[in-house]
Formats: sequence, structure tokens, C-alpha cells
Amino acid sequence: MGDNILIIDDEEVVLDSCAQILEGSHYHIATATDGAQGIKLVQEFQPDLVFVDLKMPGMSGFDVLERIRTLDSTIVPIVITGYSTVSSAVEAMKQGAFDFLPKPFTPDEFRLIAQRGFEKRKLVLESLALRREKEMLREHFAAIVSHELKSPLAAIQQNLMALGYELSSQLTEEQKTRLERTRARIDDLLKLIHTWLRVISADIGKIQENFQPVSVASILSKAIESIEPHATRKAIKIQAVVKEPLGLVHGDEGTLVEALVNIMGNAVKYSRLESQIVVRAEEKEGAILISVADTGVGIPKEDLPFIFEDFYRGKTGQAVEKGSGLGLALTRRIVEAHQGTISVESELGKGSTFVIRLPVLKTGPLAPSAV
Amino acid sequence: MNPRRKLLIIDDDPDFVEGIKAILQTADYDVEAAYNPKDGFKALETGQYDMLLLDIMMGRGAEGIMVARKMRKDARLREIPVLIITGIREQIAFLFPGEQVHPRFVAVDELVEKPIEPKLLLEKVSALLATAEARKAQAG
Repeated sequence: MGDNILIIDDEEVVLDSCAQILEGSHYHIATATDGAQGIKLVQEFQPDLVFVDLKMPGMSGFDVLERIRTLDSTIVPIVITGYSTVSSAVEAMKQGAFDFLPKPFTPDEFRLIAQRGFEKRKLVLESLALRREKEMLREHFAAIVSHELKSPLAAIQQNLMALGYELSSQLTEEQKTRLERTRARIDDLLKLIHTWLRVISADIGKIQENFQPVSVASILSKAIESIEPHATRKAIKIQAVVKEPLGLVHGDEGTLVEALVNIMGNAVKYSRLESQIVVRAEEKEGAILISVADTGVGIPKEDLPFIFEDFYRGKTGQAVEKGSGLGLALTRRIVEAHQGTISVESELGKGSTFVIRLPVLKTGPLAPSAV
Repeated sequence: MNPRRKLLIIDDDPDFVEGIKAILQTADYDVEAAYNPKDGFKALETGQYDMLLLDIMMGRGAEGIMVARKMRKDARLREIPVLIITGIREQIAFLFPGEQVHPRFVAVDELVEKPIEPKLLLEKVSALLATAEARKAQAG
């Protein structure tokens, strides 16, 4: 860590006296007589502390503070102010200044405030480093665990693929189907591990880096395609009702499909044989609404507030199917990463309706805007 | 007339190697395997291979990358096409925290993820072999 102090003040006498006070100390000092010059020095001199006079001709002290914060938020800003304008110092501190130095000041006051400022700077840098380290550990943990879990599955999958390829001319259709199913199950497992690790590493926000315009209709059909086999096994019919025209959303198709598959999967799990699940999509007031309604067992009222939390599974013990207790929690995170919301209405014995609401993508200045 | 192409797999998971090997052998390639980077590199130096299939996460970390880098420094081995077969991409990101991840972080020819569909594997292998041969023909 350096010992650089930058002082920005239009009064030469202030700059001179500060320099004098620090003479012979281990601090390095740079001075500027106006905001613009000061900002330039913030970049070149890379100060740890910046003293800024609030009242200067040209760029105001408040603007300088703002610029410093955007350039490097770890720099500790301290404002210099006259006794008569202590209220503006309070205002500056509300906006992030660490302390204030009232004019006129004694050498001791200046040294004390500078010293406290350096202590603050040290803490800021340390907590930043700690936070980084923690994030890194979490990411590494996820990566290592992921490798340990996925490698055996990849080996199994690769051998199934190889067997299918080697025996392609000898297998009966029924055997081929069984092999295909086995592969699909392992694929599901690989995806599940991937999902869990994402929950653990909690970096769902990262998907935002790959956001693109996504068609809701395509999300719907992909999700239905992946759920259909499960539904067919219980003779459940999935009815899709898409109300056109349907706008696009800004998002990540893979995780949105995953979110919908989670909800539809639950609907299938908790539905009775030969029942129906209705999936609707429509655009309404700048939002895309996707709802999944089943006529299954429903969710007890006392469970409703908790179902979107990690590892929560209904207490009322409807041992219909087992789950991880993570599906809905992850779904909520995915939806929230898309600036959306998810809600549920349910009645015990009658069924549940989940509604995902996503902001519709504004397709440019030509698109009709909502009034 | 083309002699049978000889391929080397370096991967520390013998079961995974078997899966890949079976597919390649069924497609009439001559396949050998090494189960750690050291043996793998030795094999490269002593044998005559038309192509290398390389795993990244071996041993204490990304030792596969070292193999690829060492190959680049050797005039003869540099000519051998390399197909990297690796676990998920995040694992590569984890090797270089904070750095931008690009499949071409080493000068390899192709990168695919585990597990790999037989059809895709065979396509990649034959495409890389064809490219390498065309390159050789041009140079010669």
C-alpha cells in the first residue's frame, strides 16, 4: 500500500501548508488547484487519500468527489471546508466522503485526519481482498467438486455412447430405446449437478453476461419437449396456450428453459394420473406472463411462504415423489436474474398455478412504447 | 493408399479412454493411450502419431495444457493436430481466474466437451487429420 495524498484546493496557501506539515514524513504529496487538474492527478498519481475543497471555481468539490468514486471507489475522500459551511461537509459525508477538515486547521488536526484516512484506506483494501478471496474459493470449490462429480458420469456416458455405436447393427429397437433412455437419465444427472453447483457457487448473476433476445415460444416448446416423456408416463396431457403476438425477453434461453422445466416437472410430479396441465403465455402491460396450472394435490397454506427457499420441501408429507428441494429456489433465482418475479396460488386438493413474470424486451425506438 | 491412422489419447481416466477408444477403433483407427502427461509426452516423442486427443484436467490441475505447450516448442510435434477433450468449460475458467476464457488459450486445433457424441468425435478427428495432411502436402 502506498502513502500518497492528493490535495485539491484553489487556495495556494492551503496546498503549501499541507505540504509543509507533511515535509519529512513518509507521505508523498501531490497538489492541484482545481477539480479538472485534480481528476487528472487521481489517475496519474494514484492517491490513497484525496482532500477536496468543496468550494472551488470550475468543477465543484461534489463533482470531483463523484468522479473520484467512479474512477476508483477504494480511494478515501476527505473534504476541506470552511467553518461556516460545515453543513455542506455533512452533505459530502452523506455522499461518501470519509471525513472533513475544517479550515483553518492546525498541523495536528491535518495529520490526525490524514492518519485516520490511511487506516480507513487500509481497511477498505483489506476487505476488498478478502471478498475477492472468498469469491475465488467458492468458485474453485464449485469447479473441483464439479470435476469430481462429472468425471465419472462422463466416463459412463462415453461408454454408453461407444456401446451404442459399436452395437448399432445388433441391437433391437427396444434395446436401443433403453440405451437412449439410460443416456438421457445420465444427461439429466449431469445437468442436475451443474444446476446444484450453480446454486452453491451462487453466481447465477453471471448468466446475465450472456443475455440475448430470446423467444418465449421457443422456451415453452423446449420445456414441454423435455417434460413430455414424464407426463406421458402418467398419461397427463400438457396443453399449451400461447397468445400471439408474444414479445421477446432479454435473457438466457438455457436457464429459462430450466426454470420452466422445474415448474412443469413439479406439476407433473404432483398431478394425478390422466389429468391435465395448462401452460399459458401472454404479453400484458410490458410483461410476459408464463403460467403453469395443474389440478394436482396442491400446496398447504402453511408451506406456501417457504416454497421458493433453498432445500425446502413440503412438511405435510405428501410422499408422492421425491425432490431435492432446490428446484423452486433455483427457479426463483433464475427468474430474478432476469428481473422477473415468480408467484404461486394453490389450494390443497385442487391444484397449483405458478406464474412467472418477465419484462418484455423493448425492441428499439420503433417499437410502440407503453404510455 | 492410406495406411491406418495412428492416434494417441492422453487422459487420466482409463474408463473414459475406453469409451473413446472403442469408438475410434470401430471406425478403424489405430489407437494407443497414455494415462498421465509424463507417459503421454514420452509416447509422443518416441512414437509416430497422426493425431493427439488430450485431456486437460490431469494430476494436480491443468497438466494437459503443459503437454500442449511443450508440443508447440518441438518442431516435429508441432505438426501433430491436437483435439482437446475436456470437462465443462468452467473448469478452464477456474484455471485462469479473472482472465478471459477463450478455447484457444493454447494453440490447439479443436476443443470439445466430455462426453462427446460418437458422430461428432469421428467428424472432428477426420477433419483435423485432413487439415493436417493438406498442410503437410503444401509444405512438402
